[in-house]
Amino acid sequence: MHTPFDINEAIGHRKDYVEAGLRSGSPVVGICCEEGLLLVTVRRTQRKVYEIYDRQMFSAIGRQSDIENVRLSAIQTAHQEGFERSPDDVSLHRLVGFALSPALKKAFGDQMYVPVVIRGLFAELGRTVAGDCFFTLNYDGEYRQHTGIAAIGGTQSAEDRMLQVLGEPDSTLSRDEAIRRALRAWVAGARDQISAPNEDERDQDTPLKVVDEADADRVFLQEELKSGVLEVGFLQRRDKQDARFHLLAGDVLGSVISDLY
Amino acid sequence: MLSTTDTAGSLWKLLEQSGHPFTREAGSLRPADSHAGAGSIETHGTTVIAVKFKDGVIAVGDRRATANFAVMYDRADKVLAIDDTTLLAISGSFARAMDVVKYLRTSFKLFERTYLQPMSLEGKLTELARVVKAGIPDALQGIGGFIPILATFDKESNEGRIFFYDGMGARFESTEFGAAGSGSMQIRGVFDYIVKTVKPFHEMSRDEALKQALLLLDIAADLDAATGGWAKVMPLARTITCNGIEEVPDETLKAIIEQLDKSISR
Repeated sequence: MHTPFDINEAIGHRKDYVEAGLRSGSPVVGICCEEGLLLVTVRRTQRKVYEIYDRQMFSAIGRQSDIENVRLSAIQTAHQEGFERSPDDVSLHRLVGFALSPALKKAFGDQMYVPVVIRGLFAELGRTVAGDCFFTLNYDGEYRQHTGIAAIGGTQSAEDRMLQVLGEPDSTLSRDEAIRRALRAWVAGARDQISAPNEDERDQDTPLKVVDEADADRVFLQEELKSGVLEVGFLQRRDKQDARFHLLAGDVLGSVISDLY
Repeated sequence: MLSTTDTAGSLWKLLEQSGHPFTREAGSLRPADSHAGAGSIETHGTTVIAVKFKDGVIAVGDRRATANFAVMYDRADKVLAIDDTTLLAISGSFARAMDVVKYLRTSFKLFERTYLQPMSLEGKLTELARVVKAGIPDALQGIGGFIPILATFDKESNEGRIFFYDGMGARFESTEFGAAGSGSMQIRGVFDYIVKTVKPFHEMSRDEALKQALLLLDIAADLDAATGGWAKVMPLARTITCNGIEEVPDETLKAIIEQLDKSISR
């Protein structure tokens, strides 16, 4: 039957458009460690990990203008709520669930506007380890809570691969060990994204690749770090009341990853 | 919706947009004659002092908050950290001062997180002037008047700096010291006397400056009915230096006060 407007088709087109925009984004890995939470990624020229509020940070893949828009909305909502009530009342659950998700869902469904191209990863440091959490937020407003580990990438397969490499969450890891584990996951995810279209070809090569897998990872990362910069957002748990956001980059990380492979 | 660039980085604009009373139109909430008896519903912070020393600034306050002749609270903290490099010593309306402190803390953080760089010193001073100025209509009606002293460490010139305000929001920079609150007028000349007869505050060590500041506080308590001394509750002192803000430990205060008690002739 012919219908002048098919909602499935329309949404499908928008979905395809957004997914195509996300496919080449540099993945972001979230991981817990003994001292707090980390968001780990490799960026190009633009900064990629941001502080949102006292205990919240954010990173995303997508179009820069859309990322900036979501970042600003999150920061403003958090600060307004923190001022009008208390910083203790600012939480990712409210921020993502009640402020950002409905707005993104509306924007995605609105045929009058170009869809928002974004996939975001938020981290929140709880008062105790049990309260730590990650939220992933998608361009269509869908969101999901994660504990201990989380990852966003350009494709579902890359995300699955990263979670696989990350393994079980371990809040006793040292900060540097957690960064190394996250970076290994990032490499796996980024490589998966690139090789995804040639799935068949890769299968044929498998015997040879297995032998060189670690070496290939090392070479891949080396290449990536020539044009990109390793960036780590670190929400440090200082005591029950106080948390601190640090942006780690450059020399600090050099020694951390020197013996990665 | 997501589009928010109109208010980016400005807490004031955000609050204005949402109609928050902090930024309400001047004098719109109360009729002009409502000040009768207003003093009795309002708690005031009394004397606060800030003096330079060779590594930065030291700010000292007694712990008293009063409403008319009643001592409302004797554990008030009137020397507050706004961020890692800014100390605010507050006097006058306690309610307004607490709102202002919360506003400034949030405003500075909002700016830094939005623009990925800290607000400049000039910007911070302007924010403070704006909120002092916004309190004028209230102050004219007899409540809400509030006078701050801002102390900071300027990393560019590598020195502590002290700024004080009048009720209109005019800002002045002091070379050596600042004081505000009910006991501040009574001790104004003493600061000058110390600078001229002992030595300038900025050449003193922390403990020397602390000793003079505590002595000044003691004189204020003697001459002003609303200022608490140190007999019952220890005053509160915080320093700001290139290493940030630190609270002076009670033991240090106690030791200096004991020394003073012995040497002061009553």
